[in-house]
Amino acid sequence: MGIEIVEAGDAELVRRIRAGDIGAYAALVARYRVRLGRYALHMIGDREDAEEALQDAFVRAYRSLARCDDPERFGAWLYGILVNRCRTTGARVARRRRLFVRDENAINGATHPDQSDRVEWADVVGRALARLAPEYREAFLLKHVEDLEYEEIADLTGTGVSALKMRVKRAREQLQRFLKEAEHV
Amino acid sequence: MFERQDEEDIVERVIRELRRPASIDRALDARVMSEIARPETGLVARRPFARVWPWLAAAAVLTAVVIARPWSRGTRPDAFQFVLVAPQAASVALVGDFNDWDPTRAPMHAARGGLWATVIPLPPGRYRYAFLVNGVEWRADPGAPAAGDDEFGTPSSVVTVAGRGS
Repeated sequence: MGIEIVEAGDAELVRRIRAGDIGAYAALVARYRVRLGRYALHMIGDREDAEEALQDAFVRAYRSLARCDDPERFGAWLYGILVNRCRTTGARVARRRRLFVRDENAINGATHPDQSDRVEWADVVGRALARLAPEYREAFLLKHVEDLEYEEIADLTGTGVSALKMRVKRAREQLQRFLKEAEHV
Repeated sequence: MFERQDEEDIVERVIRELRRPASIDRALDARVMSEIARPETGLVARRPFARVWPWLAAAAVLTAVVIARPWSRGTRPDAFQFVLVAPQAASVALVGDFNDWDPTRAPMHAARGGLWATVIPLPPGRYRYAFLVNGVEWRADPGAPAAGDDEFGTPSSVVTVAGRGS
């Protein structure tokens, strides 16, 4: 009776949820909160909007769980929902001034000898990232930060592999340019 | 500001920066669990995977939420899962009219994310219940109607189980 979750895999947790064990979903949320949260933060650039998007993605995933064809790949399926949610949010907030979110905990825990340089570098990176077109930022983050294969990104985004490679290449070039500009300010 | 390096190295530094773990509010877990416990409509559905009780609509942002939902169908009474989000608790028991308020009869089991859960069969009827946290602290269900006739002065809630034909 009840729930005894230790280190059950995604597929096992999805099976339990489908059998009516809502509590098992808490384990999936805890498992993916940080990684997906990082993507949402970088993609949207505003903490409040990013956490709202992440929460909404988790809720949508739960309510659509019957449509998760391959529970072993729940994480990838969840990523797809979040990517779409971030696109919607990104379009909504595009007219607002983007603010890069400093990860204060990471900054406070940094071992960098000069904390001010560390904070400044994080700001420079955030501003450069925010200047990328959303489709470039999306492709760059999924490829280089989330470390997904191009085929996986294609499945998530509905964009062809060759177009994705071009977007990543453009993103890298633009980031180099933006950072060089920042260096000369 | 930072040393001049070749362009490829600059992008790699960007990637390293962006790969740092993000600090996401842990309370998001409870908000998600609270949200999914709320019905998508005001009706009590009969589908096993979707049924939740309308009174859960009152549970907005909760530090704790209880989910009562049917666990099985057939000739036996429906089974209901009760869930409490209580990350700081060392033990939680479900007590109520249905188990003579005996904390040994429905201990709740800890899951990840600070969740406690248990499943009990409930025939149709109206029941008062509460959670006993750490053996001493009585908690009502913030997402359920409060029981107004508690002669013991401790907080409790009420759940009504409809008959199968209703």
